[in-house]
Amino acid sequence: MTMPLLEVRNLAKRFVGRAGRDQPLWVIQDLSFSVADGEFLTIIGPSGAGKTTLLNMIAQIDVANGGEVKFQSQVSPLNDPKALSPGLSCRIGYVTQEDNLLPWRTTLQNVLFPLEVQGRLDAVAREHVAKLIRAVGLGGFENHYPHELSGGMRKRASLIRTLAYDPPVILMDEPFGALDAQTRTQLQEDLLRLWNLGKKTIVFVTHDIGEAIALGDRTLVLSRAPAKIVGEHLITIPRPRDIRGIMMHPEFAGLYQRIRAEVQ
Amino acid sequence: MAILGETQDKGSPFLSRLMARLRGHGDQVITFFVLIAIWQVLSLVLGVYWVSSPWGVLTRFASGIWSGDLLVNAAYTFIEALSGFLLGAIPAILLPFLLRRLPMVTAIIDPVMVGGYGAPKLALAPLFVLWFGIGMESKVALVAITVFFIVYFSALAGVRALDTRLVQMAQVAGASERNVARHIVFPGAVPYIFTGLRIAMPYSIGGAVIAELISANRGLGYLVQLGAMNFDTTGIFTALAMTTLIVFLGNWSVDAAERRLLHWRPPADIKMQAGT
Repeated sequence: MTMPLLEVRNLAKRFVGRAGRDQPLWVIQDLSFSVADGEFLTIIGPSGAGKTTLLNMIAQIDVANGGEVKFQSQVSPLNDPKALSPGLSCRIGYVTQEDNLLPWRTTLQNVLFPLEVQGRLDAVAREHVAKLIRAVGLGGFENHYPHELSGGMRKRASLIRTLAYDPPVILMDEPFGALDAQTRTQLQEDLLRLWNLGKKTIVFVTHDIGEAIALGDRTLVLSRAPAKIVGEHLITIPRPRDIRGIMMHPEFAGLYQRIRAEVQ
Repeated sequence: MAILGETQDKGSPFLSRLMARLRGHGDQVITFFVLIAIWQVLSLVLGVYWVSSPWGVLTRFASGIWSGDLLVNAAYTFIEALSGFLLGAIPAILLPFLLRRLPMVTAIIDPVMVGGYGAPKLALAPLFVLWFGIGMESKVALVAITVFFIVYFSALAGVRALDTRLVQMAQVAGASERNVARHIVFPGAVPYIFTGLRIAMPYSIGGAVIAELISANRGLGYLVQLGAMNFDTTGIFTALAMTTLIVFLGNWSVDAAERRLLHWRPPADIKMQAGT
């Protein structure tokens, strides 16, 4: 078996109660899984299961209180927020739940932001970004400010902002959660198309079972806090997948039922 | 309809444009003339000796401009106010950014800043005259210290209102500490800084005029003082009218700079900011 690219082992995280009055709350305890290079892993769990906290720890913007996250044989620090290295030198991209676009930058400037601060902004990069912008249907909106864009457009901009600098691993935290069904399907198709081109490693968190099946190679099911893995499913529906018709696939209903039973 | 509009425009483009602009500010124009009318009535009732008439002020204003006397004194006050404004505002903007990573220092100097903000700066004017003489320096110092404390607290609020999610996004994307300061913290604080500048701007002109009242041989404050000594209310009113004009000019400049720097904001946001 090949070495996993990303490995989470016995990970634990607690939230300290207010001024010692409350008991510390363990949101994640003894959580272990691994992600292979090029895999599209989806993680599903009820709200409040610590999904965002898990991604924050993998991206190293939050610190773990036990266990470890190992990425390319580099182990994350414990208990010391100052020792964190967010994004691990641009190798882990993170598409958060909120789009977090900079309101004072236009669509294009927002998408270029990571390349700019990484000092990689050249003609080739600009051309690549222009292609991405067209690919997700943001052409003509390059010079619009975030407040002039719709929710779906903002989501697209935040998605390609991460794709633009090409990190080998991308974490996604319910990126399509707040969108209408039509826009969501469109974005899921865009995402799969872009993923097929680059074959990145993606860890995609969602609370939508259908989405978890439609996108992933494998799905992990998390329990309520303290989060543990209560189910693991390989999704063998062949690619390229037809998102709109995926519910008709013979495997879909069975998977859906089994995952449904595990998510409470 | 279109043809009619076109011929009207051709008839007198300047006048029609002026009318179009005024139409948008109709209420403001009416208010202005009502105030002038009240002023006129007051001067008639109380006597021109106590309350100068609008017409008297207007002619004095015109002759002051013509002779250059009013302009020279206005320029003097304007330069004091502008230098003091810059001298106070620039360090006030920079300081919260320099201290951002040093919350301890910010906490230590906080009582000093609160004290400085609350202290009546006018009471310092005689002290500054003592230290810096009756020339420009004492006025600039008074304006600078007044502006400094106002802008410092608004810039500090801007730095503190930082959205940590944006910072985390930037760090994950590879932004250094300097990048974060330049691309996240500063642009986010600009609206707050402008709130401070907008409040401080009239204080800078008022501060300069009041410092001149105490002791000066030039400036609009000096003209007010001179008018008072000669029982010349028209002279006082003329100097005050000029002061008001400079305040309008300053306000307009801050507005223009804000529109330029904050064009990324939704329009409603700018209006709200202007209202506060």
